[in-house]
Amino acid sequence: MANESTLVELLRQQGVSRRGFLKYCAALTSMMGLAPTMVSAVSEALQNARRPSVIWLSFQECTGCTEALTRSHAPTIEGVIFDAISLDYHHTLQAASGAAAEAERENAMEENAGSYLLVVDGSIPLADPGYSTIAGISNLDMLEETAKGAAAVIAVGTCATYGGLPMARPNPTGAVPVSDIIKEKPIINVAGCPPIPVAITGVLAHYLTFGAPPELDHLGRPLAFYGETIHDRCYRRPFYDRGLFAESFDDEGARKGWCLFKLGCKALVTYNACATLKWNQGTSFPIQSGHGCIGCSEPGFWDKGGIYKALSRGEMSSNAKLAAAGAAGVAIGAGSALLARRRQNSVENSEK
Amino acid sequence: MPVFPTFEQVYQGFAEQIGKLPGVAPRVEMPADQRVKRAVKVLVDETHADEAVWLESCVHCGQCVDACHFYESTQDSKYAPLRKIRLYQRVYRQEVGPFRWLYKLVGRPVTVEDLEELQELVYDSCTECGRCTMICPMGIDIASLVHHCRTALVAAGMAPPEMAAVTFEQKQMRTVFGASPDVLRSLVQKILDEYGEEIPIDKDKAEVLVLTSAVDIVMNGNGLLATARVMNHLGVDWTLRTDAYESANFGLLAGDMDLMVELADNIAKSAERVGAKVVIVAECGHAYSALRWNPHVHGKELPFEILYMSEFLGRQVQAGKLRLEPLNRTVTFHDPCKIGRRGGAFDEPRAVLAAMNAELVEMPANREVNWCCGGGAGVFLLNRATELRDKAFKIKLGQVDATGADGVVVSCASCRLNFEAGRFKNRWDKQVDSLVELVADHLKDGEAGQPAAVAGGEQ
Amino acid sequence: MTLLDLARGPALEWALVIFIAGILWRLLGVLLLTHPVDFSAPRTSFAKLQGTRTVFSRAWPSAEFIVRTRYQTVMAYVFHIGMFVVVAGFVPHIEFITGLTGLSWPGLPNFVATLLGIAAVLALVAMLVRRLTDQRKCCVSTWDDYFSWFATAAPLVTGLMAFYHLGPRYETLLAMHILSIDLLLVWFPFGKLMHAFWAVLSRAQTGAAYYRKGVRI
Repeated sequence: MANESTLVELLRQQGVSRRGFLKYCAALTSMMGLAPTMVSAVSEALQNARRPSVIWLSFQECTGCTEALTRSHAPTIEGVIFDAISLDYHHTLQAASGAAAEAERENAMEENAGSYLLVVDGSIPLADPGYSTIAGISNLDMLEETAKGAAAVIAVGTCATYGGLPMARPNPTGAVPVSDIIKEKPIINVAGCPPIPVAITGVLAHYLTFGAPPELDHLGRPLAFYGETIHDRCYRRPFYDRGLFAESFDDEGARKGWCLFKLGCKALVTYNACATLKWNQGTSFPIQSGHGCIGCSEPGFWDKGGIYKALSRGEMSSNAKLAAAGAAGVAIGAGSALLARRRQNSVENSEK
Repeated sequence: MPVFPTFEQVYQGFAEQIGKLPGVAPRVEMPADQRVKRAVKVLVDETHADEAVWLESCVHCGQCVDACHFYESTQDSKYAPLRKIRLYQRVYRQEVGPFRWLYKLVGRPVTVEDLEELQELVYDSCTECGRCTMICPMGIDIASLVHHCRTALVAAGMAPPEMAAVTFEQKQMRTVFGASPDVLRSLVQKILDEYGEEIPIDKDKAEVLVLTSAVDIVMNGNGLLATARVMNHLGVDWTLRTDAYESANFGLLAGDMDLMVELADNIAKSAERVGAKVVIVAECGHAYSALRWNPHVHGKELPFEILYMSEFLGRQVQAGKLRLEPLNRTVTFHDPCKIGRRGGAFDEPRAVLAAMNAELVEMPANREVNWCCGGGAGVFLLNRATELRDKAFKIKLGQVDATGADGVVVSCASCRLNFEAGRFKNRWDKQVDSLVELVADHLKDGEAGQPAAVAGGEQ
Repeated sequence: MTLLDLARGPALEWALVIFIAGILWRLLGVLLLTHPVDFSAPRTSFAKLQGTRTVFSRAWPSAEFIVRTRYQTVMAYVFHIGMFVVVAGFVPHIEFITGLTGLSWPGLPNFVATLLGIAAVLALVAMLVRRLTDQRKCCVSTWDDYFSWFATAAPLVTGLMAFYHLGPRYETLLAMHILSIDLLLVWFPFGKLMHAFWAVLSRAQTGAAYYRKGVRI
């Protein structure tokens, strides 16, 4: 249920000073790509915002998104956002369970009809509702029902945004993303497997501040975090530009920190903030740790031809087609020549 | 006192004869669609793998124009060599090529107008000299493809009238311009009477069968005289045969392949009958192509060698059998296209000139890349092509002038006639000599008695 | 399926199928035509072998023609060499070929590939301009000439655009680049791009025919 105290009061109760709160607002403003003059607006909004109700539905997911968000090792600014909202339903974090939990959800939907935020992680199976149910309700039904009264939907993680791992070939559960089901509500796709935690909180904060989704790209992702490719911000870019590549893991090039293109890095076509914000409070990200980007914030990243195969390698089903093509070419070509020869009746042919 | 005409007179007489040819040309009547059908059939039948590769290879780079004397002298893009094969390419693509089913759907069918347009491109403005092949980055043998086009036009009854006339005569008489066995015999007699030079004729057996040509028989008696002098000086066991004496093969020139084969076979048979070891082709360029490089003449299996006159003379010099008086002049040598670039005999004529101590200055473009004189492959016979030929010859004129030599030695009657025409029309001051006649005039330990015949064209 | 998925997936696969089948069809359809025997006595031996020399000797104009052909010769070589270096020297391309054939070799620094790629494009443009302005009207340009030019230029231009991130989002640029390659592959067997094969065959057979008569070209 929505708490009547404001965020600032809550923070003070938790020992977060006003200064700390302002620092958070500044950081958030900058991360969202807003002008510095917006800091006061953000802080105003967050200070005075009524804590909106947030219902978090988890479908075919691994809980990695929640883990990323909550398993910070130090009290983090990200965690603060949980205090700015009223998280009325979340499988992993809520105390209630069973019928009580579902009742909470329904209450929150009723009390905040039209104004609650729906957060979804995990994909929705369409092949058979039995693949994933909560309290006997299929994911599809629950999503449709819960979305009806939501102000907006935030799909968190690549499973919810684009289908993710469950949708990988041959997609046995018929998994689909949220945007395939919900057509009439604004959807913000916070993609990634998992997404960078601050991306999730940044979107929430933006919504709290402005009451509207941030600017999105053509795939529904907030431009502030997904506006550039990792390639364009990668610290190893000079090596790509020069043509110096690691040939195998832990070879000389790898140890020298050369580009991982040949080891399958998909950073060229992956939009995310890993190269700038990094992970674990800016500790590192996959490329820095020596492994190529697997493109986890992009649709269908499991089916792009292999995470260790360079992007420029084609994605072909088999060599059988090519062998057949060869055979066909030979047969038709020879046939063409022989037919032409039959037509000919030249002096040179008939031996004198 | 010279008995036979000078070559300038020969040229004048020849030009007159050529002027009369259209009047006696047989006309081939045929409905237009039959012409097209026959032309197409010939092209289809004659397209082997080699032709197909060449037809596929043209990338339209246009460089061939830079090698062609007809383009060079007119700057008219109509004469670009690549244009000559376009119709053949169309036929090939629609009838023989691997994608013919598609081309038949989207391509334009061949019309009789296409054939009419082709006539000028493959007869009037192409001497099949092969110089374009030298520049083509793809190495396309355009001259051979042009030859096939001629064959197609002959089948369609669309050869130029002059070609039709000489082919007609040669079909009946095995020679042209009235150069019958009787005329040959009386020339042989005259040479004996006037010069005391005996020419064996119709021997049953001989080591060397010598071929002459209509030009020599009917007009340029000096040519046969010179041949006889040289053969007799060398002490060769040779003969002329009235059943096989004509070098010229108008079947090849016009594109009448049946006639070409018939004439070539006839000579081969006669040579076999006579037991010849060597057949010598008179100075007549395309005759060498028709005999020596004729793919049907079983050269490898026949017991005789076929040699061009200049080739024979060169080998005699190289074997030390032919010694010559010094020439004491600066000359340049014009390789006939069919003997040099298309025949492979460059060194032999040069050996002859070297044996004469001639100061030989090569033309700026020489040997495989020399310029054609503009008159070969029967172009000299075409009245219509006179202006074109005259323009093209100017290139050769410039080449000779550039050497600073006082004259040019040629070794082909067609070239010689064209040079003579050019000399006359441009009031050119250079001397033009035939190799065999020059040799005859410079035989060491020369014959006592008759003075040497006047070498051609001094005025 | 995104445009990029299409380009490097089914489009590429089918393009390769057509490429392989088409080339073999065209080559065999020509080479298996008749090869009549030439009975005349050759002047030299091993003409066919010697003919292959012409494949190389014809790669450069003879002294007689070098002045007249210099512009085209230079432009054509800048293009061809540039293109080959780009295709075989740029690491992502080598990866592509390795994926198809298993063969691999060390790559060149990127700036070599991009410099030569730019030079190749400029040479292509120069030749197109020449063909279009053709004062002498000698080239007899056909639709094939222009379309083949386009099919050749598009991969170079789109490749450079992708590398330098010029224009739409990178994945779109990359998709355009790969689609242009697909187009090139599909068109290759049917137009004048086949001169890649004919150049060798035509030169060799002409060289052999001439050498047979004793003329070395």
